[in-house]
Amino acid sequence: MSMMHLFQWFDATPISKVIRDSTYIFPVVEVFHLFGLTLLLGTVTVMSLRMLGMGMRRQSVYEVARNLMPWSIGAALLTIVSGILLFLSEAMKCYGNAAFPWKMGFLLAGIVLYLLWQRRVALPNSRMSKAQLAMIAILSLVCWYGVAIAGRAIAFV
Amino acid sequence: MSLFTICQWIQNSDIGTSIRESTYVFPLVEATHVLGLAVSVGTIAIVDLRLIGAVMTDEPVTDVIEQLQPLTLGGFLVMFLSGALLFWSEAARLYPSYSYRTKFVFIFLLGINALLFHFTTYKNVDQWNNDKLTPLRARMAGWIGITFWAVVIFMGRWTAYNLK
Repeated sequence: MSMMHLFQWFDATPISKVIRDSTYIFPVVEVFHLFGLTLLLGTVTVMSLRMLGMGMRRQSVYEVARNLMPWSIGAALLTIVSGILLFLSEAMKCYGNAAFPWKMGFLLAGIVLYLLWQRRVALPNSRMSKAQLAMIAILSLVCWYGVAIAGRAIAFV
Repeated sequence: MSLFTICQWIQNSDIGTSIRESTYVFPLVEATHVLGLAVSVGTIAIVDLRLIGAVMTDEPVTDVIEQLQPLTLGGFLVMFLSGALLFWSEAARLYPSYSYRTKFVFIFLLGINALLFHFTTYKNVDQWNNDKLTPLRARMAGWIGITFWAVVIFMGRWTAYNLK
């Protein structure tokens, strides 16, 4: 099965058709995509800045991460689920779109970064050096802002 | 001279026309608008969630508000300036849009909500700074903030779909 067939299959699911046939479902789902993105980027920005020694310095890195990471994850899930719905309705538009692979690349990198490394920041017994924290923070900012910018670019390229 | 005529004049100005017709400037400004929104409304959401007792309840309210304020204001400035540029390029098209007008009504109401909170309930924050359950008026300000910002985002996104 070629990549094109896969995208054609996504484009032809019953959900894809329902969203395409409706005037309102796509914009409403997109608004929820934006809600999720707002909370995700907001919390990621605050956590990353703290890991770089800026922002909420009266709290420890652990305190900030412990409090905000669950909201980042919830927001990411909302963004991803709504994003899958948007994708299904226009999979063939995404196929061949120059920005789409970049968006997926940044997304995958962000998820891998979280699973392998970043989630440990919110654990009480993780002993990470300043350099490690700074590296995670910068990678996290690049990944998630990259997803957002590449995502916005899909509409224009 | 009507408001609509002014909007037409703004849209047809050299700067308005060049933003609208540029391949890169309009998308870049729009992306900047979304990122500014994420930083400012994202941090506002954290403050509002603290007020309603949903996040950082072990931390003093003033710690959350004071330390996030630079991000909120910086993000807001970026959002406002990029929004002004977007308006500049499409003023006459935006003028009749009800979702666009509604967005500004809610931004105005959010301003009042923030000012009311700041100059009443927040004045004696010392008395409830460490409370997990903040006073009713603080919780109300938080709930209004979250729901009204959601309306602003909704109306902003909706505007793009209704432009003629």
